[in-house]
Amino acid sequence: MIEVKNISKTYGKKKTEFQALKDISFTIADGASVAIIGKSGSGKSTLMHAMSGLDRPQTGQILVDGINILELKQKQVDKFRSDQIGFIFQSFFVQANESCFDNVSLPLEIAGISRSKRKKMVQAALEEVELSEKIKSRARDLSGGQKQRLAIARAIVSEPKILFADEPTGNLDSVTGAKIEELLFGYNRQKGVTLIIVTHDHELAAKCDVRIFVKDGVVDSIEGTTVKGAKK
Amino acid sequence: MKTADIVRRAGRSLRHAKIRTILTSLAIGVGAFTLTFSLAAGEGARKYADTLISSNVDANSLAVSKDADFFNGGQGGGVKEYDPNQGNFQGTTLQRLSQEDIVKLGKIKDVKEVTPLYDITPTYITRDGQKKYSLTASQYDPTIRVELAAGQLPKNKAQLADDDVLLPDVYLSPLGFKDASEAVGKTIVIRVDRRGGVDAAEVQQIVATQGVAGLQQLAAGQGKDFVLRIAAVSKKSAAAFQSSTAVSISGTKAQEMANFSTKDTPDYQKYALATVQAKDGSDPAAVKAAIEKEGYTAKTAKDLQDILFTIVNVLQGIVAGFGVLALIASVFGIINTQYISVLERTQQIGLMKALGMRKRDVSRLFRYEAAWIGFLGGLIGAGLAWGIGTLANPKISEALGIGSENHLLIFQFAPIAALIASLMLVAIVAGMLPARKAAKLDPVEALRTE
Repeated sequence: MIEVKNISKTYGKKKTEFQALKDISFTIADGASVAIIGKSGSGKSTLMHAMSGLDRPQTGQILVDGINILELKQKQVDKFRSDQIGFIFQSFFVQANESCFDNVSLPLEIAGISRSKRKKMVQAALEEVELSEKIKSRARDLSGGQKQRLAIARAIVSEPKILFADEPTGNLDSVTGAKIEELLFGYNRQKGVTLIIVTHDHELAAKCDVRIFVKDGVVDSIEGTTVKGAKK
Repeated sequence: MKTADIVRRAGRSLRHAKIRTILTSLAIGVGAFTLTFSLAAGEGARKYADTLISSNVDANSLAVSKDADFFNGGQGGGVKEYDPNQGNFQGTTLQRLSQEDIVKLGKIKDVKEVTPLYDITPTYITRDGQKKYSLTASQYDPTIRVELAAGQLPKNKAQLADDDVLLPDVYLSPLGFKDASEAVGKTIVIRVDRRGGVDAAEVQQIVATQGVAGLQQLAAGQGKDFVLRIAAVSKKSAAAFQSSTAVSISGTKAQEMANFSTKDTPDYQKYALATVQAKDGSDPAAVKAAIEKEGYTAKTAKDLQDILFTIVNVLQGIVAGFGVLALIASVFGIINTQYISVLERTQQIGLMKALGMRKRDVSRLFRYEAAWIGFLGGLIGAGLAWGIGTLANPKISEALGIGSENHLLIFQFAPIAALIASLMLVAIVAGMLPARKAAKLDPVEALRTE
C-alpha cells in the first residue's frame, strides 16, 4: 500500500519560487492500476518522482508498506528503487548500442544479482514481452514498439512491486500503443503488481482502476476505488 | 553493484566509443612508451656497467689515493700551497703517495699486495727497420680480462714476465707485422726519456751553441731503450675499460721506466694512485675502512660500480622525466574525454541512478573506465617500446660498439607490469573529477525530456 500524506514540493527560491505540489494526499492499494492524469506542468511527473524516491518533497510523508521513504537515507532509497520499483519512460531510455540482454540485465546488476541467476531472469523477462529472439540484437535495431517492450522487460525483470509508467504510449502509434497497454495491464493483473501510469491520455486512464486528476499541483479529483474493493 | 559487473560495463562503454578511447589511450601510451624505454635503458645500462666492472675490475682490488680530491675530479681543490709531494694528475693538483705510503699500505691487515700506478711516459715504440710510433703504455693488470688475438698470457692472474709485453693489435701493421701470430715472440723497442736533469735555460743554451744536433745528442744520452718481447697480442674488446692503444708491460718494467724517467725530479717515486689487492676471502669494505683510517682515500670495485650507477640513474631519470611530462599531458586528455563522456551519457547515468544505482557505483563506473584507458595506453606504449626496442637492440649495440652480446635495452616483465598498474592509478585519479560529476547528477534532471 502506498500512502501519500500532505506532500508539498517547491522549486526555486524567492522570486522564481514555484510550488509544483501543494498538500497532496491519497492512498493506493496493492495491485491497483492507477492513472495520474494532468496537463503538462500540472505536477504529475513531480508526483511520480516523489512517490518513487527520485525526488524529495519538502513536507509530508510517503509511506510504502508503512515505511516513510522520505526519511530513508540515500543508500536505502536507492535500494528501495532497485528492489521494489520498475520504470517505464515515454522515450524508452534503452541503451541503443547495447544488446537487449545487457539492457535488461542492468537493473539486476545494480541489485547485485549473480551472473547465472541474471541470465535466467533476463530470458524470462524478454519472453514476457515476446522479445526472446532479439536477445542478442542491439537495442538500436528495434522498432519503437519493440524498444518500449524492451523497456518493460527491463522494468519487470527484477520483479518489482510497483511499476511506474510515464506516458508509456506517448511516442507510439495507436496499434503498438495498444499492445504496450495490454502488456502493462496484463502484467498488473497476473502478478498483482501496482501499476501507476502518468498520462494525459484519458482513454488510457479510463482503463485504470483509479484515476487521480492533478491540476496546478493539487489533486483535483479522484475516480474509482482507492482502496481495493471499497468505493470512496 | 558487483565490481566485476562495473568493470565489464566500463569496458563495454569504452568499446562503444572505440576511436575516442584509442586516441585518449595513445596519449597515455606516449608516456608509457618513454617510461618503458627509460626502464629498459636503465636496466640495460646497469647490466652493461656491471659487465664492464666485473670483467675489468677485481672485486678484491681497491684504488687508493692520498688525496680525497682524486675521486671527485679535484672539485674540492682550488689553489694549494706548494708541497713537493703534490703532483699534477689529469689537470688537478693532488697529494701523492710516496714510497713510505706504499710500504705503510702494505702493512694494513688483509692487504695482499700494493701496486702503485707508475707514471710511465714512453717516448716512442719501434722495432728494427720500422718507423717510430707514439704510444701509451700501462702496467699489465692480470685481473682485467683480455681477448687475445695470438700468444699466451700468464695463468692464475700472474704478472707478465719482466721483459714481456702485451701488444694491442693496432700496433701490428705499423710495426710491420703481417698478423698477430707473426708478432708473438718478436721483440720491440720502447724508448723512455728522462724528464729531469736539464732545465729550459740549459736547453736554450745547447740549441744556441750546438744546434739541433746537440739537443739530439743530449736527448740520446738522457734516454733508454727497453727491448721487450711480445708475449701476446690483444684484440679490442667491447667490455674493456683499457684504452685499446695502451701497451701492457710488466710491473717490474713499469717501475723501472717510471723511476728512470722521473729520476731527479719531484715526481720520483710519487704516485697519484695505488691499487691495493685485498686478500682472498677478506671483505674489501673492511680493508677500505682500515685504509681510510690511515688517512688515505680508497674506492672499492663496488664504489666504482655505484659511481657508474649514479650516472646511469641520472640519465634514466632524465628520460623518465620526459615520460612523466607526457603523462601529465595525457591526464588532461583523460579528464577531458571523461567529462565529455559524462555529458553525452547524461540520460544513461540518470537511468542507472533511477534504477537504484548508488552514487558510489556510478563514480566507480567512470573511474574504472579511466582505469581501462590507462591500462590500454600502458599496454600500447609498453608493447610498442618492447617491440621496437627488441628489434633495435642489435643495431644499438652495433652503433655504440658495446658488443653484440650486450644489449642496451633490457625489458623486464615485473617493472613494466608495475608501470602499467601505476598508469591505471594515474588514470583513475584523472577520472576522479568527471566521475564525481557523474555521481552527483540528479536523475530527475537527467531524465527530463521535455
